[in-house]
Amino acid sequence: MSALVQVEDLTVWQGTQIALSHVSLTLEEGSSTALVGPNGAGKSTLVQAMLGLIPVESGSVRLFGCSLEQLGERRHAIGYVPQNLPFERTFPITVAEFVALGIPKRSWWKQDKSAVERALIRVNAMHLANKPLGNLSGGETKRVLLAYCLVHPRKLLILDEAPAGLDPQAEESFYQLLEELRMQERWTILQISHDLDMVSRSCDHVVCINQRVVCEGTPEEALSNESLLLAYGPNRTRYHHQH
Amino acid sequence: MDNLLDLLQQGFMQRAMIAGGLMGILGALLGSFVILRQLTFFSHTVGHAAIVGIAMGVLLGVNPDWLIAPCILLLGLGLQYFTEKSDLNSEIILSTMLSGSIAVGIILIGFISGYRGSLFNFLFGDILAVNEWDIYKCLVLLLICALFLLLTLKEQVLLTLNQQMATVQGIPVRFYRYIFTILLSLVVAVAIKAIGILLVNAFLVIPPASAKLLTRKFTSFLTLGTLLGCFSAIFGMLFSGLFNTSSGPTIVLVQVSIFLGALLLSKVWKFPLAEEKLFKGQRAKLDPKHSGPQ
Repeated sequence: MSALVQVEDLTVWQGTQIALSHVSLTLEEGSSTALVGPNGAGKSTLVQAMLGLIPVESGSVRLFGCSLEQLGERRHAIGYVPQNLPFERTFPITVAEFVALGIPKRSWWKQDKSAVERALIRVNAMHLANKPLGNLSGGETKRVLLAYCLVHPRKLLILDEAPAGLDPQAEESFYQLLEELRMQERWTILQISHDLDMVSRSCDHVVCINQRVVCEGTPEEALSNESLLLAYGPNRTRYHHQH
Repeated sequence: MDNLLDLLQQGFMQRAMIAGGLMGILGALLGSFVILRQLTFFSHTVGHAAIVGIAMGVLLGVNPDWLIAPCILLLGLGLQYFTEKSDLNSEIILSTMLSGSIAVGIILIGFISGYRGSLFNFLFGDILAVNEWDIYKCLVLLLICALFLLLTLKEQVLLTLNQQMATVQGIPVRFYRYIFTILLSLVVAVAIKAIGILLVNAFLVIPPASAKLLTRKFTSFLTLGTLLGCFSAIFGMLFSGLFNTSSGPTIVLVQVSIFLGALLLSKVWKFPLAEEKLFKGQRAKLDPKHSGPQ
């Protein structure tokens, strides 16, 4: 396996506060990595810095062996599922039109309908094709976001607390779908999560951060009591659930 | 009716109808993104920079038409820059700059000696006074805007919908925003002579807003908004000729009537906004404490 993502010595300041301090991280091709840590630990900041959405103070990010400036067309191999999709709910766009936005370098007028249909079918959302995007429920929106990623071949999928706001059943169904697609598409996945049970079940690598990398390794190693104590402090409580 | 037919044979009326139709298309094309990006106050603000251009033109003895566009463009780019750089809510910046540009304009007008009545034509515009040169300007601008928006339509939609997802896809969000600001400022500058400072925003906002009430698909929204912009201008001109009313305000009244009609239709048909209203209504029933939109 080769490294698809290499973050080295990354430091990010937000205003007068340090958000990330000398963070280094490597994602191997085909791996499924979870980024865990308490609120305000800098998980979303790390993802945003990796994607070039916010400026960094020092350090480097290399995706597919290139710096962010050199990525060019390789950017289209990245799928990004944000925590939520904040947009005006009356925005006049159908689900099919939205999914077609994920196809790069193609005129929107000549959108590849078959690719859109295939992507929607794979996430069980074909019945939503002509529905306005603003009328979807939380679970439907997440599935449509996955279809947006599926409509074009991607190598790296980054999810920022993707199941946030879903009920346990919808969350479980989302993770099942994600795992199926990961196997089929051979995606390398990086996801931010607070659900440590899910992380234990579906990820092969866990990075625990709290402004710096506190610990990393297999779920057994990184989610051990000692590691969690380091990351979350002594007042943490872990609830196990079976769904 | 005979009077209207006579009027339609007049050169000034034909020019006005062509200019109105072109401006209707142009306004709706850009206005579609203006309303979705919530820039309606932005276009209203840049329009008021025209007062400075007009006053400066009169004071310097230059045709005000030549100074309106640079003033609007300068304010538009300045607003874009300050909005980006400041942590303040954009409405605060827009409101401040709106007041500032009106104040500068009025102070400059105070230095003009003699009759100032013609200055106020720019407030309300006069579409019947457009000449061939104005039509050419409008046509060239329409071609540029249409090419820019249609060739980058996918990128424009994605960055309007979600800036982060657009950046991840490698879309040059900042560059496109500045280009859009330049085009919007030029459209406002060209339209002011015909429609006036006070009504120019109507051309940008009302036709796309009506289309938004009637469709749930982006391509239909853009097409319908553009058609409504064009037809409301042409029908407005016809009504103004028929009833001998001021042209600009009559066009705006036609646009407002279409908007009200669309609002009623959206309540009858199950369009997106109607569904949203129903949802809010149901929520209010379920929770008596919830009265306003969240």
